[in-house]
Amino acid sequence: MSEHTVIFQPSGRRGKIAKGANLLDAARSLGVEIESICGEKKTCGKCKVQVEEGFFEKYGVDSKVSNLSGWTKDEERMLSLAEKENKYRLSCLAHVQGDLLVFVPEESRGGKQVVRKKAGKLKHKPDPSLTIHYIEMKAPTLHDPEDDYLRVVAALKEQHGVAADRIDIHCLRVMAGALRQAQWKVTVFLLRGEIVRVAPGKVETYYGIAVDIGTTTVAAYLTDLKTGRAVATESKMNPQVIYGEDVMSRITYSMQNPGTGLEKMHNAIINTLNEMIGSLVEEHMITRDDILEMVMVCNTAMHHILLKLDPQYVGVAPFPTAMSKALDVRARDLGIGINISGSIHVLANEAGFVGADNCGVLIAEEPYNSEELMLIIDIGTNGELLLGSKKHGVLSCSVATGPALEGAQIKFGMRAAPGAIEKVEIDQENLEPRFKVIGKELWNIDAAEIEAKGICGSGIIDVVSEMFRAGIIDKGGRFSKHAPSERIRKDPQNGMPEYVLAYKKETSIGKDIVVTQGDVRAIQLAVGSIYAGAVIMMHEHGVEKVDKVVLAGAFGSHLNQFSCLLMGMFPDVPLDKILSVGNAAGDGARLCLVNKQKRAEADVMARKVRYLELTVYKEFERVFMKAMQFPHMEDQFPTVQHVLDEIPDWKKIAKEKEKA
Amino acid sequence: MALDSAKKSELLKKLEQGVVEFEDDEVRDAAQEWVDSGEDTYDAIFDGLVAGMEEVGRLFSAQEYFVPEMLMAADSLYIGLDILKPHMVARDSGVKGTVVIGTVQGDVHDIGKNIVKMMFDVAGFNVYDLGRDVALEDFLKKQLETNSDIVCLSAMMTTTMMGMPKVIEMIKEKNPNCRIMIGGAPITDDIVGKFGADATAKDASNALEEAVKMVVSLREIQKEANAKN
Repeated sequence: MSEHTVIFQPSGRRGKIAKGANLLDAARSLGVEIESICGEKKTCGKCKVQVEEGFFEKYGVDSKVSNLSGWTKDEERMLSLAEKENKYRLSCLAHVQGDLLVFVPEESRGGKQVVRKKAGKLKHKPDPSLTIHYIEMKAPTLHDPEDDYLRVVAALKEQHGVAADRIDIHCLRVMAGALRQAQWKVTVFLLRGEIVRVAPGKVETYYGIAVDIGTTTVAAYLTDLKTGRAVATESKMNPQVIYGEDVMSRITYSMQNPGTGLEKMHNAIINTLNEMIGSLVEEHMITRDDILEMVMVCNTAMHHILLKLDPQYVGVAPFPTAMSKALDVRARDLGIGINISGSIHVLANEAGFVGADNCGVLIAEEPYNSEELMLIIDIGTNGELLLGSKKHGVLSCSVATGPALEGAQIKFGMRAAPGAIEKVEIDQENLEPRFKVIGKELWNIDAAEIEAKGICGSGIIDVVSEMFRAGIIDKGGRFSKHAPSERIRKDPQNGMPEYVLAYKKETSIGKDIVVTQGDVRAIQLAVGSIYAGAVIMMHEHGVEKVDKVVLAGAFGSHLNQFSCLLMGMFPDVPLDKILSVGNAAGDGARLCLVNKQKRAEADVMARKVRYLELTVYKEFERVFMKAMQFPHMEDQFPTVQHVLDEIPDWKKIAKEKEKA
Repeated sequence: MALDSAKKSELLKKLEQGVVEFEDDEVRDAAQEWVDSGEDTYDAIFDGLVAGMEEVGRLFSAQEYFVPEMLMAADSLYIGLDILKPHMVARDSGVKGTVVIGTVQGDVHDIGKNIVKMMFDVAGFNVYDLGRDVALEDFLKKQLETNSDIVCLSAMMTTTMMGMPKVIEMIKEKNPNCRIMIGGAPITDDIVGKFGADATAKDASNALEEAVKMVVSLREIQKEANAKN
């Protein structure tokens, strides 16, 4: 029977599906959950999916809607005309006839993504760029016929000592009416000397929005500009994932579809931002008009696509950006739905591969003010590293961790969503695991229903680290041939060894969840690349060790620090010197929103950070290679040495048993 | 002092095992002993070192070895080669061809390419390594200059992969018989077909196998052509 490649986005799950299977079954077999309330009785219309057409280089898939069975009467009834035109289908009715890339829209997704980009607490007092000032003025008379604008400017000067020197045209158009309607008692919104809003009466609280546009997720924080607190948070998948999961494939998509590719991806992110703004203001019972400023951080590729700048040059060596400096853009020029006079501040990029998001991390963590030498690791689809202190200055580099640490390209990898295994321990004697899945309180061994679906980033780090601790894999990542457990077996298809983490009865996908030799290799590459980046930066600084390690990134805060150290993700430091700071990029964006000194600092510091292009270092290959071993081929890890000493040597144990 | 056959096979075993287990000293000593005996070093290279590397390639394909082991084995191999090669009597080694290899423009990742290059080296191919971030037209230039049987293009990023079809078109236009192999993380079988390349390989020893196949088929084409003339 012939098979076709089907890819589901945004989860990125893909596999070979037998011709004729419906998309709902295909999704299930790949661990993708699609709502199906009626149970395929063709009545609920919930299992909507969208077919994305085109040739996708990355997968080598030529996806088109005609690769599905024909449009049915039931779909005619349950889907709108617009949906039909946009290539929506009901997954229970559409059967696979060829290769496909299918997008599962938010509303059809079973099991919502867990928001792991919570807002942290800010260390700085609010002093925002956007300020508000309540003024009272006398109405003009024949003796005092001054124009409205100068009247407002004068009142600002007299009553608050602030200088305004211009006004946005859209604000001016409505100001005359607003002043009179409010009987000349108004609150003026001032952004860098420009009057951007005149609101009736006295406004006490006002807000801005900080946004972190990640390659995979977008997080937005509605922030009270008086207190600096995030009052509402919204997180969504980056809709561009259907055009490519990593920045490189998105840039390629733009290159391959001149004129339309960039436009599509740009519009997708703008629409998502507008939806997120909508939910944030609604949740807080304010309106879009109340938002006058937003600050955005993102990596360089996302930055270019957001601003609709051609990203192709960022995608090839020597990776120059169109502009590194921070940028202020009118929201209306980008089609972003906040107040028409509102403005968007995009933080500075540091270098081709180190974007504004890292600038956010930089000012949130301030390594340049630190007495201790800090290594900051921002783990996302790409890893960005900062190493520095007040004394040493700050270096940055970018390492290609690949998507493995986020659960992608791992056989049973998935994003952090209910059902994902996020924590694992393995018994050193009987090699039995216990694990926790997101959404369940209990360990699997104590729970009646476990329903694991896959392994998320923190879970995969844990399980590989634990497999090493239990001697199931050796220093080189190779499966032990002597470890005594039924869970270690060979994949009948390719003969490669694997470890069964969850048997079929504990999963909701109808099969065992295993960790393969290939998965271990992917993690070795990711972990090794981070360590190698750190080592090259240490060489450059002329230091032998670091004082402190900071794990940033949505996913960084969920990592088991011990597991990371045992695998040698970064140089040895005492465990209490490893900190997880959550979404530092998002925190940096919020800082720039609420504090104008920090914003100025960001632009200056972004220029001061020295970027290292790792691949030009001759020793990189060697350093990287040595770092791929657990925890390292040569370097010492005193903090975990006692654990390393306890790792069972199954070969030796087997030999001793034989003798006895 | 000539080597008797028992001593020979002992040294060959040492060279082979030395490479497989990255025992630099073993390899160095065995190679030196061979050279001191005054024997032709051809067998030591091919039945010793290369045999070891072939085993390493097999272990790599079976995922028992990974990049670090591969590179460590390569170190041992080159230690042996440096000692043995200057003493080798040149001869026709059968199906060995000429290869031009490099990482395409815009791409600076070359660990994979270096491993493939090494496999060609040890198999006795004539290898012209253009390095990384290689201007697309330089592949054509070198191919024409060396009349190589094979051109190998490597790319680690989807963005730079897009340069490959341009090179392939340029070369195939001037020299349709030249075989082109492409490789790297984003390359799939479908891409090979779409770009008009002749082959890809998922790892280094696979690349070598493919390369030997390509050279064999090329030689056959040439033979047929010669026969007709």
